[in-house]
Amino acid sequence: MEYKRLDKWRERAELKGLLDLAQKPEELYYRGRWRKTLFDHGVAIVGSRRMSQYGRRVIELIVPKLALEGKTIISGFMYGVDQYAHRVALASGGKTIAVLGWGIKERLEASDEQLARDIIKAGGSVLSEWEEQRAMLWTFPLRNRIVTALSKEVIVVEAALKSGSLITAAWAEKLGRKLWAVPGPINSQVSQGTNQLIATGQAEMWLDHSYQPQLSQTKDPLILKVREEAMTASELARVLKQPVAEVGAQLSLLALKGEVVEREGKYYAS
Amino acid sequence: MLTKIQSIANLGLETVPVTVEVDVAEKGFPGFTIVGLPSKAVGEARERVKTALVNSGFPFPNKKITVNLAPADLPKDGAAYDLPMAVGVLVAGGLVEIKNTDLTKCWFYGELSLDGSLRPTRGILLLALFAQKRRGSLILVPAESAQEAKVVPGIKVIPVERMTELMVHLTQVKPITPLLHTPIETSLEQVQPEFDLRDIAGQEQAKRALIIAAAGGHNLLMWGPPGTGKTMLARALPGILPPLTPQEALEVTRVYSIAGLLTAGEAVVQKRPFRSPHHGVSAAGLIGGGTNPLPGEVSLAHLGVLFLDEMPEFPRSVLEALRQPMEDGVIEIVRVSGHVKYPASFTLLAAINPCPCGYLGHPRRPCTCTDKMIAKYRHRISGPILDRIDLTVQVAAVEVEKLAVNNEPETGNRVNSQEAKVMVMKAREIQTKRFKGLKIYTNSQMHNREVKQLAELTPEAENLLKMAVEKYDFSARSYFRLIKVARTIADLTAVKEILPQHMAEALQYKQIA
Repeated sequence: MEYKRLDKWRERAELKGLLDLAQKPEELYYRGRWRKTLFDHGVAIVGSRRMSQYGRRVIELIVPKLALEGKTIISGFMYGVDQYAHRVALASGGKTIAVLGWGIKERLEASDEQLARDIIKAGGSVLSEWEEQRAMLWTFPLRNRIVTALSKEVIVVEAALKSGSLITAAWAEKLGRKLWAVPGPINSQVSQGTNQLIATGQAEMWLDHSYQPQLSQTKDPLILKVREEAMTASELARVLKQPVAEVGAQLSLLALKGEVVEREGKYYAS
Repeated sequence: MLTKIQSIANLGLETVPVTVEVDVAEKGFPGFTIVGLPSKAVGEARERVKTALVNSGFPFPNKKITVNLAPADLPKDGAAYDLPMAVGVLVAGGLVEIKNTDLTKCWFYGELSLDGSLRPTRGILLLALFAQKRRGSLILVPAESAQEAKVVPGIKVIPVERMTELMVHLTQVKPITPLLHTPIETSLEQVQPEFDLRDIAGQEQAKRALIIAAAGGHNLLMWGPPGTGKTMLARALPGILPPLTPQEALEVTRVYSIAGLLTAGEAVVQKRPFRSPHHGVSAAGLIGGGTNPLPGEVSLAHLGVLFLDEMPEFPRSVLEALRQPMEDGVIEIVRVSGHVKYPASFTLLAAINPCPCGYLGHPRRPCTCTDKMIAKYRHRISGPILDRIDLTVQVAAVEVEKLAVNNEPETGNRVNSQEAKVMVMKAREIQTKRFKGLKIYTNSQMHNREVKQLAELTPEAENLLKMAVEKYDFSARSYFRLIKVARTIADLTAVKEILPQHMAEALQYKQIA
């Protein structure tokens, strides 16, 4: 758990985004090796701690692509959307920066510590503006301002009304960062905030157009069905009127080939 | 005068003879003493025997009575020595004269009521099986429990209602008619299943998993939100298992006899047991316990199904106690009084919610759990237990409107229990042939060595498995588990080798991460 204080961060070109802040951080502490290029094109992925299956899939679609484009995923290291964004970024070979909502010296839980180490090992960084500071209600909104300031773009994946993610969105507006919101089902609590951002025009709607044309021209009824709607094996057997044993076997094969993805028993088109 | 009456003691499922020696002495102060390590219940027999005899109209000898339960160093427990003691007092006191009966061939066992009638007593079947080994035996037992003894051939069973009746029988004034022997086979007629698979809406894959579990003797884990039919599915499992063979029925009945769980007049347990202990159960309740250990839930589920609903709610110490029976099919309980062994070979059926609140992945209700809570919840079941569960299947919330499309042609998705049972029995037959001469009966019991020898994969199926191992990062254990399940799936279609489609279907039932 070695950490360092960053000398004279105000003089560093890669951190000039932070200078946009009215309330600038006094100091910056970090773990890992300092790499200037890490900050070249940061994209913040923020969202609810209570991530839904939909949110999970959204991250799995967005983050690998951003990682492939060489962008750095910046997020707040909280469980839910934040941590999942970090994890997916690592899994797809990308770099990621975690900005902590507490002091750098605080001990992390075992699984969090593991994630922090993985982030560092992959060439990313773990940052905080505090050395010794317990996590408090007020520390998280402050962390959000750094997440935003370090990024060129902010994507809100899922957010409830009156959530911390909306605070991040407000920071993005104030600092003039490009703000995206992912639309979600109108009956989902954790999409009300994002949908509102879109409705009021504060954020641009993330539609992921580049994704559509990639769909292969398949005739497999199974794939066609799961593209319409995610379903369990039992439901697919029912709508396709096939024995569940066969449907199951086919789904296993498609999952192995990566043409469908299974999450909590439901199959999604990849 | 001294009289010796024969009785027995049940230590677990083991039966040993006990001689009840009764001496009624002419000299000495009047009294009634019982020796030979009697428990409290045996000691109190003094009052029961005395009152029951007086209330039956016999004069109680006003002399010094000494009862010894031999062997004297074996602890005796229970009220079943009431009957042999009462008979001993009457004979030794010269109050009755026995005619045409050889007391050395008679076995007495039963509890007395104060009015001189006999009360139902545990473990009569064990007495019958014990007496069967000695030629020409006669057992005299309470009428209400005598039914369980009638399935044992080669012995005479005398059902006794009251002491007076027994005395007129022993003096040959009016003998009691012995019970007719009925072979077990006749009482094992078609038993209707409690829940038919056909009555369960949707859940096609879960039903399929049940059939595979029944066919290969695999343990099964079901996960899904509350109210989706996990319990109903569990209750349907005994109905698709093959019916009990006479030998198996006897084995199950032995356990139920010693536990005193046979209902009055019930001769043998006809259905495969289904036990569903609540998660408040103690380790002793689950595996058996007590000073003189009685069988626990695992033994009561012997040759049947043990269903653990909301498995993570069970204390970890209790779940860990399942390891020995799941591995060996028996449970050994060690207590001060010695150790006993009970059979405990069951199919484990476990149900878990996807998360503590239960609604993760539910189409309508939001889940309020955090990732950490979910991970913690799933970790409550230890690896060694999960390792012994071959199949995992999701029981998702059913969206009613999606069920409506069910006017389908016959796809085999809506089997009823009877059809399923036939499939299961055919698959079991194949397995019986395969494992001839080995001490295993189902695919689930194969060890790695047998898997390598007896579960042959086609090269394509093996390739598929290798791909899956790489993609999902399976352990060696999961690898063998998958082959076992694929073997059962192939057996269900009576195919000799494991083909890719069997392996692919088996992958559907892999463990959730």
